[in-house]
Amino acid sequence: MKVICTQENFKKAVFNTEKVTGKQATLPILNNILIETSKGRLRFLATNLEIGVFSSIGAKIEREGKITVPAKILSNFAANLASSESVSLEVSGQILIISSGRYQAKINGFDSEEFPIIPEPKGNFLLLINSAKIKEAISKVSSCIAFGETRLEFTGINMSFGEREISLAATDSFRLAEVVIALNESGLGNEYRDFIEKENSIIIPSGTMFELLRIIGNEEREVKIFIEENQIFFELDGIQLVSRLINGKYPDYRQILPKSFETRVVMKKNDILRATKIAGIFTDNRSGEMKIKINEKKLTINSYSQSYGENEAIFEEDIVGPDQEIVLNPRYVMDGLGTIHSTQVAILINNSHSPVGLKSISEKDGTVEDGYVYIVMPVKN
Amino acid sequence: MNNEELWQAVLGEIELSISKAQFITWFKDTVILSNENGKVVVGVPNGFAKEWLENKFNANIVKAIRNFQEDIRELTCTIYGPQEKNTSGKSIDMVKKPSQMAKTVDLNNSVSIQNITQQKQSFYQINQRYTFENFIVGENNELARAACYAVSQELGNTYNPLFIYGGVGLGKTHLLQAIGNEVIKKNPEKNIIYISSERFTTELVDSIKNQKIDQFKEKYQKISLLIIDDIQFISGKEKTQDIFFHIFNFLYQLNKQIVISSDRPPREIQVLEDRLRSRFEGGMIVDVCSPDLETRMAILRAKSSEKNFFLEEDVVRFIAENIKNNIRELEGALNRVMASCDLNKKTPSMSYVKEILSDIISSRKKKGINHTDVIKTVAEFYGIDEKEIANKGRKKRIAVPRQIAMYLIRTELDVSYPGIGELFGGRDHTTALHAFKKIDKQLKEDEKMAEDIKILKNKIFSFN
Repeated sequence: MKVICTQENFKKAVFNTEKVTGKQATLPILNNILIETSKGRLRFLATNLEIGVFSSIGAKIEREGKITVPAKILSNFAANLASSESVSLEVSGQILIISSGRYQAKINGFDSEEFPIIPEPKGNFLLLINSAKIKEAISKVSSCIAFGETRLEFTGINMSFGEREISLAATDSFRLAEVVIALNESGLGNEYRDFIEKENSIIIPSGTMFELLRIIGNEEREVKIFIEENQIFFELDGIQLVSRLINGKYPDYRQILPKSFETRVVMKKNDILRATKIAGIFTDNRSGEMKIKINEKKLTINSYSQSYGENEAIFEEDIVGPDQEIVLNPRYVMDGLGTIHSTQVAILINNSHSPVGLKSISEKDGTVEDGYVYIVMPVKN
Repeated sequence: MNNEELWQAVLGEIELSISKAQFITWFKDTVILSNENGKVVVGVPNGFAKEWLENKFNANIVKAIRNFQEDIRELTCTIYGPQEKNTSGKSIDMVKKPSQMAKTVDLNNSVSIQNITQQKQSFYQINQRYTFENFIVGENNELARAACYAVSQELGNTYNPLFIYGGVGLGKTHLLQAIGNEVIKKNPEKNIIYISSERFTTELVDSIKNQKIDQFKEKYQKISLLIIDDIQFISGKEKTQDIFFHIFNFLYQLNKQIVISSDRPPREIQVLEDRLRSRFEGGMIVDVCSPDLETRMAILRAKSSEKNFFLEEDVVRFIAENIKNNIRELEGALNRVMASCDLNKKTPSMSYVKEILSDIISSRKKKGINHTDVIKTVAEFYGIDEKEIANKGRKKRIAVPRQIAMYLIRTELDVSYPGIGELFGGRDHTTALHAFKKIDKQLKEDEKMAEDIKILKNKIFSFN
């Protein structure tokens, strides 16, 4: 193999694949990245047998071929390269020779024959979504993923499909976040309608979503989604990510999403965030409690700790609805506020034993925005 | 050779030809899904294995299969998910917390089922047969019934907690269930739980085992009426008492009604924490006693007319006179009479009923027990010598057991007072009469005495 590509492309391809490598000792080839020429392009492939990724870049191919090299060596080398125009890769026996500007490296490689084959979608894409929307949705719901949970379905992100929108949701049973993304007609694949007839809810491992987040980076582009044979494929700009799905049924969380709320408070996000953080100081342990009291157009947040003392913060805010009193875990509230990026936030309460909702407020007209909701269960005492 | 055996054989062969790491990576959790017309479909756990087996190992596998089954031409793989554990149909934890939500959601949905079944169970644990209407009131249970009825009319505001005690088969459970039925009838939306303390303990143990103790508490804290039957079984179970104490306090503070039954008053329940005892005693305590003759007759009449069975007045009296202690036995006797008459197509005449019930009545009374058995049992119970009882000694240690023995011989064996005096070393019949009256009086005043007598009676009747 002998190819020449731009250094920028080379670095990007290495970056996009380096993390998806296997840790298990049984199959050491999984620590490697496979570099191969394919259909006039240069492909970098990596997998840990849960997730597979390949990144294909444009290159001038002088001689076809392939090799696998340790991902760590390749990425450390690529990361420290001084910038220059181009990189040339050449395989000689089991050695990969990389030259870029003043630098040249010879990396000991392995036979590529044992490298797993990464599945590719066979049919047409199902959905086309703007990467910025997906990225935002993942980063919002990921605060609620349950890690180290014995129930596997809670370790993933639920994606459910509607006629004209998809919803992403995650919960650890104490709080839940849901983002609804509206779909354009042009973004629907030909088989989308048939697909949702059969299957309208899948669970994607959170690791896959974080990898997708990494690959999307800061660029805005279209992401194609394929779902076939219990696998999900994401395709964007020559990068393809494949992952198995988590078997199981995601709980029908919509039942616990309140349809409406009795009391609504609209206030500056930073105000409540600050009060929540302070309330979090005066709690005895991690699962602390803070009390939110809404009374005569005033919102009071207080917490009390036997060992440290107590605190109280009072706000006079825009309050609609009856008085309320509810006990929440400040950590969960903080997490929720962290996912809201508007300057103002709506706090929605029904009663002392129903979940509390947090929603963002539109910067333009000051209305409560739908499309994202973070709900927290009250603490029972 | 079935599919499973075939695949095991094939795997055995392949294992030899590739490295262990490869074998584990690609062949773990694989299985033959179908084997028809020369086509084998292998189920694999993920897409990588599928690609690998189809593209790299296809030829090897087909070759290996042909060794066992020659007509195989084709091999395909499909991904099948070995179902991960704990996934099917379990409801999400947070759903259970807010009680309001469960009520508004669609019943068909799996998530809410847990809540709904819980409600239904609580509903079904109450037997609809037991109502206030068919509870027969006598002097013995007038107060208890009135208290229960008042409670059912106004939950939490009249007598809270209500504590009912009394011996077995006297209608405690009937009253408790009647409260439940009345409340369901009046306010079907009220959340009520009827449970025996033994089941309460079992549920608690389960919830501790499954680390769902909070949900367990929540379940009980959501209700407006808690009825616990046979609370005495809670004695000695510290953790149960502890949890029950918290639930009790929680409900009590919210003015939720609590009704408890036991076979003895709170202060008699052994190994009961003081704080619980004082709480039980803080409400209304009523007892149900054994029914008097008139009440027993009324019960028999009511029960027989309920079943359209006619009994002569003297027959009713005969049964009521002979079966005294326990309503359940009374019902049993009636059922026996009805069944025999029904089977033998006879009318329940006095002589026939006597015949049917002869062994019940005699077993209750005589059953070959004589005064020596009684004396022996009493002496053993109080740890004194049999002979001492009949002696002249007037030490309290001996006098009291002697009086008890006299009392028991009088009540259980119907021996005359002079006869009793005779049995105890030629005493005067007034001594026996005095003993009987004294113990009879103490029985009503001294709980310890009542307890002792009860135990002694049990011992005597289980005497062989």
